[in-house]
Amino acid sequence: MTPSFEKLQQALKQLPGIGYRSAERIALNLLVEKPARLPALVAALEEAAQSVRRCARCGNLAEGDAPCAVCADERRDAGVVCVVEQVPDLVAIERSGAFRGVYHVLHGKLSPINGVGPGDLNLATLLVRVESGEVRELILALSNDVEGEATCHYLTQHLPSANAVKVSRIGFGLPSGGGVLYADSVTLKSALDARRNYD
Amino acid sequence: MRLRSLNLRHFRNVTLTRLEFSGRLVCFVGGNGQGKTNLLEAVGLLTALRSFRTPDNRLLLMHNQPAAALICELDHERVGTAKVSITLRRDGKEVWCDDTRVAKLADFIGRFPTVAFSSQDQQLVRGSPAGRRRWLDVAAAAMEPDYLRALLAYDKALEARNSLLKSEGASDAELEAFEVALAPAAADLIARRSAVIATLGAHLAKAYERIASGAERPALVYRPDFDEEPDAEALLARLAASRGRDRMFRTTVGGAHRDDFELTLGGRDAKDYGSEGQQRSLVLALKLAQAAWFHERSGVRPVLLADDVLGELDAARRREFWQAVDPESQVIATGTALPDATLGNWRIFRVADGEVSPEP
Repeated sequence: MTPSFEKLQQALKQLPGIGYRSAERIALNLLVEKPARLPALVAALEEAAQSVRRCARCGNLAEGDAPCAVCADERRDAGVVCVVEQVPDLVAIERSGAFRGVYHVLHGKLSPINGVGPGDLNLATLLVRVESGEVRELILALSNDVEGEATCHYLTQHLPSANAVKVSRIGFGLPSGGGVLYADSVTLKSALDARRNYD
Repeated sequence: MRLRSLNLRHFRNVTLTRLEFSGRLVCFVGGNGQGKTNLLEAVGLLTALRSFRTPDNRLLLMHNQPAAALICELDHERVGTAKVSITLRRDGKEVWCDDTRVAKLADFIGRFPTVAFSSQDQQLVRGSPAGRRRWLDVAAAAMEPDYLRALLAYDKALEARNSLLKSEGASDAELEAFEVALAPAAADLIARRSAVIATLGAHLAKAYERIASGAERPALVYRPDFDEEPDAEALLARLAASRGRDRMFRTTVGGAHRDDFELTLGGRDAKDYGSEGQQRSLVLALKLAQAAWFHERSGVRPVLLADDVLGELDAARRREFWQAVDPESQVIATGTALPDATLGNWRIFRVADGEVSPEP
């Protein structure tokens, strides 16, 4: 293999989910097997690198200085903000079609073991949003583990006290279509804790 | 539960062996250092994928071999027959149970219980709190999936708080965020430990009575590092109050990770006041209590692994020990001499330099 090929392979290997073998296969495919695809890929990469940004308001993906598609949609309720860890979490909730408010993407959660502190999260803009008074309700859709729990606590402790916002955390319980029998005891416990009136 | 066959490859000094067991009593006989205990150790892995001799599974691999494998066939009270296959590598392990891959320890731990009696057991009386805690945690986690979850949740939150304490710039607010997760996990773990110790203690008293006819009653006494009620609010306040000291030591100094328990006789700590023989009987009784608790709790009789411990007892105590053992439990023993034939029909295997051969 040539030095340039190896450089490309090394760069591909840095990508998530791609190991040494996959990197080799992709590089060979691009350079030897289907070289015609290469210019389109290079152009797409360059264009995306130029234009894709974080939405200044919520942290979702956006083009240039414009707000993201969710923030730009005037039919959505800007007073209800769903806080998620990552952009794919937002995509998953969007796909469900169950939420008509807007989002805030933290781009991570507090994780001292991985050296992620509050400064590494997209927190300040959220606090600004709450302070501006535009937010009535926060729905915390963070993961159901120690780090998600700690992030929720940290966040709620730092909300400006002047504007009263309703804060809730999404429920943890039985998966849809799942019976009680096959749920583990922790899931059952949170499902029981989070039970609702039947009416 | 009864072990019906044991296949080993590249496990410690055993290159390859296949053993079949038919009866209740099995004994590996051989000189010192021939590999008798290695065979028991392999069977002991069935409980929690941990050796009763070492916390480091890499030591179980034969020298210069990339992997060790163990396949067992079992008769089991709940699932009928089962085939368990465990492959250990330097960087991890793979477990299959009846041709299904076991993905999580929680799905496996405790399903195939064994209880090991070894000469190292006396460390449970005399040794460090860490050793006692490890034993209690593994035994309880094997019996109660919720104990394992509580332990893992506690460890995770503790690790996060300790990482914060090690980094210079952690704010009080960050510490508090993880204390809020740590305190309920600690309360949960302490409550579970307290319950487990109470149950084990009751079994211990019964077992001790049978193997040592003495007036002094044994007990298991929980010594939590935080000695008040396991209340999440109070624990949270303790954590907040100890931040200054914890920052100085750059770790969480106090908490459930420093818990201990004591074995007492007649109300006095057996470590300081028990005689050699009393201590020995006490740990045997503790292991018998563990086996009885396993059986009571899960309906499965653990396989008892007796690693030459009985060699250290005098004839009277040995007899009492065998009388205290559940007569239905399978016993796999090791010894340098043939076992006591009055106990029943032993299936004997000779062990020499990692080679095991059945005695006709």
